[in-house]
Amino acid sequence: MSAGTSALPLVGRDRIIGYGLMVVAVLCVVGPFAWILMSSFKHQIAILTGAWSFTPTWSNYAEVLFGRRSDFVGNVRNSAVVASVSTVLVLVVGTLAAYSLHRFRWARWVTTGFLGWTLIFHMIPALTLVGPWYIAFRELGWYDTLGGLILTHVTMNLPMTVWLMMAFFSEIPPEIEEAARVDGCSPLEAFRYVALPLAVPGLIAAGILAFIFSWNEFSIALNLTARDTATVPVAIARFAQQYEVQHSQMAAAAVISTIPALLLMALGQRFIVRGLTLGSVK
Amino acid sequence: MHILNRWFKHWSLLPAVLLFLLLTIYPMANLVRMSVSTITFAGGAAHWAWTPLANLQLLTNDAVLGAAALNTAIFVVVAVAIEMALGLALALLVARLSRGKGLARTVMVLPILVPAVAIGSMWKLMYNYDFGVFNQALTAIGFGPVNWLGSTSVALLAVILVDIWHWTPFVFLILFAAVEGVPTDVIEAARIDGATPRQITWRIIIPLLKPALAVALIFRSILAFKTFDEVFLLTSGGPGTSTELVSLHLYKVFFEQNQLGYGAMLSLAIIIAIVAFLLVSRRALTLRAMA
Amino acid sequence: MQTMKRLLAATAILAASVVAGIPVQAQQPFAAVGAQPPITILVNSSPWYAGFEKAVELYEKQTGNKVKLDVTPYGGMLEKARNAVRGARSPYDLINLDTQWTIEFYEGGFLSPLKDVDAAFDLPKEVLSYGDSGYWNADKRWRTPQGGKLMAWPPNGNVLLYVYREDLLKAAGIAPPKTWEDVLASCAKLQDPGKMYGMVMRGERGNGIRFDWMYFMLGKGATVVRDPAAGDYTVTINSPQARAALDLYLDVAKRCGPPNAGALGQGDLIQLISTGKAAQGMVVSAAWSNFDDANKSAVVGKIAAVAVPQPAGGKPAALLGNWNMAIPKNIPDAQKQAAIAFSRWFLTSGAQRVYAEAGAIPVREDTFRSDLAQNPKFRWMPAYLEMQKYATQELGYAEGAQVEQILGLRLNQALIGELSSGKALNLAAKEIEELFKKSGRRTGALPPLPE
Repeated sequence: MSAGTSALPLVGRDRIIGYGLMVVAVLCVVGPFAWILMSSFKHQIAILTGAWSFTPTWSNYAEVLFGRRSDFVGNVRNSAVVASVSTVLVLVVGTLAAYSLHRFRWARWVTTGFLGWTLIFHMIPALTLVGPWYIAFRELGWYDTLGGLILTHVTMNLPMTVWLMMAFFSEIPPEIEEAARVDGCSPLEAFRYVALPLAVPGLIAAGILAFIFSWNEFSIALNLTARDTATVPVAIARFAQQYEVQHSQMAAAAVISTIPALLLMALGQRFIVRGLTLGSVK
Repeated sequence: MHILNRWFKHWSLLPAVLLFLLLTIYPMANLVRMSVSTITFAGGAAHWAWTPLANLQLLTNDAVLGAAALNTAIFVVVAVAIEMALGLALALLVARLSRGKGLARTVMVLPILVPAVAIGSMWKLMYNYDFGVFNQALTAIGFGPVNWLGSTSVALLAVILVDIWHWTPFVFLILFAAVEGVPTDVIEAARIDGATPRQITWRIIIPLLKPALAVALIFRSILAFKTFDEVFLLTSGGPGTSTELVSLHLYKVFFEQNQLGYGAMLSLAIIIAIVAFLLVSRRALTLRAMA
Repeated sequence: MQTMKRLLAATAILAASVVAGIPVQAQQPFAAVGAQPPITILVNSSPWYAGFEKAVELYEKQTGNKVKLDVTPYGGMLEKARNAVRGARSPYDLINLDTQWTIEFYEGGFLSPLKDVDAAFDLPKEVLSYGDSGYWNADKRWRTPQGGKLMAWPPNGNVLLYVYREDLLKAAGIAPPKTWEDVLASCAKLQDPGKMYGMVMRGERGNGIRFDWMYFMLGKGATVVRDPAAGDYTVTINSPQARAALDLYLDVAKRCGPPNAGALGQGDLIQLISTGKAAQGMVVSAAWSNFDDANKSAVVGKIAAVAVPQPAGGKPAALLGNWNMAIPKNIPDAQKQAAIAFSRWFLTSGAQRVYAEAGAIPVREDTFRSDLAQNPKFRWMPAYLEMQKYATQELGYAEGAQVEQILGLRLNQALIGELSSGKALNLAAKEIEELFKKSGRRTGALPPLPE
């Protein structure tokens, strides 16, 4: 069974308008990012004057990557570990939970209680959350460890993952899974070989979002890490000093931090598509 | 395998429940306990006094809270509505293009991939009165410069604009995935029945997207209520109270003023407001769907 | 063994200097502190961090002691410091506190008084006092050495400097202003909206406008409360003098500043001055290094600094924004000793010189008066020392953060024209009095100003 609206392609004049609109949208989105990219090659003074003609410089990148005070490579490595591992974990835990709640007949109080609790938890401002976590993690010896941070990021991203995956599972017509059960699939097999392959677009979206939220998370990382475990957002915030922002270095750091993130997301997508559509029952 | 199968229903939910029990009960209980207390520090230790009414009274006497609530309401409704509409339109559009889907998805990720502190400071530069790119463009085409962040009538709009740029991709990613998940044979069947693409979009695809739309709306609203970085970095709530949002106000009360009890009360009030907002918007949506 | 070796070395130096007949102090610009366990310092990323790091490296080399620095964004400092002292054991042995945060930490009993750790520790007399923000008198709930204990030492202190374009003022035949009336007169010549702003200062809601306006307030002899050191918290912010100060501030902002005066923060001022868009400005001393850096500035070598003007017939005034290094209570004694050892070393003239040469603002007066001041790179130093003479701490009470937010909002509303100056100050006075009443202070109010 295939999915997607490729069965409904735009044709003729609509097609041209459609591509036109997409180009406009892409430009709107890319514009400010291109501006950041441009800034990363400018000296601070050229950024401050908003100059369009300037002599490009690599010095901001050199400063961020190789500056004596910088441990940006280490920060990127920490972020890569935390974001990747927490994304994998949250996808596994969240997808299983979503499927369980979606497919099986749980008592109403379980479903409502669990989903309600995840939502309420999601509404708590991080500010009020971090203090208790800090105290608990110091006691448990999880402070200043990547493992501790990963655990908090899994928890933080779990509500959205569960809700998203439930939405995507509910898109799958129930007859398909029923047919598989009639063919002799166990519930686990129906999940693994029928539902999961059909939910691949959802898994990718949920994975991308969880990855990005983890990659960019600041408050928790700030409080639960120290020098050796600091992540990219904490490092980038250092360029916003008490009185002024070091725009040029911040821009370079922002650009550098997006590259490994994009690569990891691309790899992750390929992995999900290959791993889950392989051996699926169509 | 047999055991795994037999208890699948139960063990599949277990890790999530355990994680939540482990990591959220304590902070949540702590928050509630704080909200009914006044906390002072002396001798290196915290002293808790039971004062539920005092914190409630602070809530009603807070001079800035009214403005913050109004701004937040405007911010959430306007920003989320536009982001939902744009995100949906883009998702439907991109899904129907034969090429460029991968590119679109990659590009769309960029705004949410850049750390908020970088986004805030970069947009602040772009909005700059004397040197910013917007005023450069406006001056070039013959309009006067706009006082983006320094005028009470424009500042909130400027902040909303950043939010739309920043978060429309979030809605797009979710809805695009949902459109991709619509089974092809449903669409083909409709086409064979003679439905036009417009009818298919409105009568078949969008109704199928409802769960995803709901999730996008819920999570986008919650995040919008919690918006902090953008406004903190762009305006700090000024000029006057024109861009004061409840999350920013909470930051000032809880963090800068160290009023833990009142701050906790305020966060609970925010949670109640979000729940009310979600219930009302769900209600409004179902009513519209029925009409 | 290590200790033994060091002791011997120190004795040798001592003996040598005695033999040479030179006072030990002058001969020995660094302190010998012995072997200490490694310490961790919570320090903010800042323009002076490079200097701090240089000094720390030298300390490690000289003493063999290890120092770990946790460099934290400014926006995360307070949170990390609070977490550290509120937990069971602080991960940091020294924490750096912005002056406005100190009261919370002193009053909460989170810190070790420095003399409790080492009775022999004292601030060298050459170290600038910075309004005595390092002392805490718990009975009076006030930061003062009178009956107060030494809780912290200053690694850095900022005041505002009045900077101006030497070339522009000379060309226009304007002398560096001494009063705000001079400033207004200069703006009549310099102000050219869209091209050049006469004088820029902060107007941003919050700390920005509160801090900068207080230079006017103190200059006019006005106060926020009558005599907080003596426990009299009668609110005096709506006095006629305070109103005159606000009217003067508004006048300067309108006649010298840009249309977005109400949104200007320190970063905006630095931008306007270093791009050559502002002829004069009131900026924090930490910003100085920007103006002489060709990568950051279009006005290299063209900026000069003097003391901030005062109102005609008023008095000179300055407000401090300094940092305070303190030792958390919740660390083992050996760690506290190691922290004291570093502190003692850091405040020596030798360390301060290294610190200053690497771009930081030193905290010892003799460093400012040394040959460094002859270097054009440090031409701001005389103005800085001049400001130190009148520099005071404001809002030095537990309610300080809340008072700042009240004032920061009401003043900003006056600036953007939402409130008249009288109304803004009356409102602020009412809210501040309310606040003091709630916290049980002896308070009262002046009759309201005509609105």
